[in-house]
Amino acid sequence: MKLPLMRRIAQTAFLCLLVAIPILNEREISFITGTLYSMSIGPVDITDPLSGMQVIMLTLSATRALFVSMLIPILITFVLGRTFCSWLCPQNLFSEISDILSRKVLRQRRALVPPTPIPRWGILALVIVGSLVLGFPLASLISAPGIISLQISTAVFEGTVGLETGLVAFILLAEFFVLRRFWCKYVCGVGTVLGFFRCGKTLKVTFREDHERKCIRCGACSRACQFDLDPVKGKLYPLCHNCGDCIAACAKSTNGKNPLQFRF
Amino acid sequence: MSKRFLRPPGARDERHFQASCIRCNKCLVICPYRSVRTGTLFDGFTNMGTPIIDPRRVPCYLCMKCPPVCPSGALDATLTDKRDVRMGIAVIDKKTCYAWQGTLCRSCYEICPLFDEAIAMDDALRPVIDEKKCVGCGMCEHVCPADPSAIIVKPMGEK
Repeated sequence: MKLPLMRRIAQTAFLCLLVAIPILNEREISFITGTLYSMSIGPVDITDPLSGMQVIMLTLSATRALFVSMLIPILITFVLGRTFCSWLCPQNLFSEISDILSRKVLRQRRALVPPTPIPRWGILALVIVGSLVLGFPLASLISAPGIISLQISTAVFEGTVGLETGLVAFILLAEFFVLRRFWCKYVCGVGTVLGFFRCGKTLKVTFREDHERKCIRCGACSRACQFDLDPVKGKLYPLCHNCGDCIAACAKSTNGKNPLQFRF
Repeated sequence: MSKRFLRPPGARDERHFQASCIRCNKCLVICPYRSVRTGTLFDGFTNMGTPIIDPRRVPCYLCMKCPPVCPSGALDATLTDKRDVRMGIAVIDKKTCYAWQGTLCRSCYEICPLFDEAIAMDDALRPVIDEKKCVGCGMCEHVCPADPSAIIVKPMGEK
């Protein structure tokens, strides 16, 4: 099966899961409970490292359960990179679809700002300072995937949605009309924190050319990248979240010779 | 300081609670009685997304299912005995309480889960709170026939 199709299936299935969890919980089937801030699958707890990190900073302590529950996403990210963002995150799914539509309707535009991780580091720093000043984990209010799953849960249990939903709508509108993919690219704190957990052996998009794997300089890879990264030039990380769109585009253009590949 | 609310059982003091609640909704979802609601902007910016219990709507029935599901230590996961809960303390408004005004009423006394301990009847058959025993579940506030309720749970730490 082709990579982009597999990914779209994974994203859609995960969104369906986020809708199914509160509906099942409401019927008192609670094998899986929680939201993207924190989820329990049977006896296993998984907590968003950004939320957990904020709690640790604010209280200068952590229960063992909190610490252990943050380890699962961190370990997955160490091995597979930010695949949570590209394969599961509902905000990324919405933004990708909005971007595809935007490119069709408003024609392709280049991003106004070149890809750089500096804004997201600055924003994370601001969020952390803001949290310390306000005394509560501010990131919980501006974590788009968390908001989406929390609001689905709120809608099921309380029949309303909170004001935070407006943020998701704002992101989609702004991305559609003005700044392509700005949230995932320049803002999202969840992704920024996950991006810290990398090492030399983390799965990455690798450009390796030899006589069998010839690059034809078609540029299909960078055109396929919604973050305007250029895999041939390299320096993809920490912005690249391993969606694999460039690899699929490369395979298509080079007839499977693929100088661009996922490697550990 | 913004308005104080009743928090689910096991909640740490409000400052620590605010700092460690990651607004994940797990306590709300696990609650079989729908006692917990999600805070909105109308409850104050810092309360957005936090679990709030309005006893007049639905009190806490002290089933103790929520403390262990809290992932971040905002609720004390080791709390299992409902007698150790300290969500708040019930306060009776003697000017509006039927029993204190001379009409026979023992609604709060009958419903109290710490029966005859947290709320006792004095010699004149008027309810009296034992502040050391009251856990602040709000069942008394929920059933009080006076409108507005003559018995109100003051959240922990509220003056």
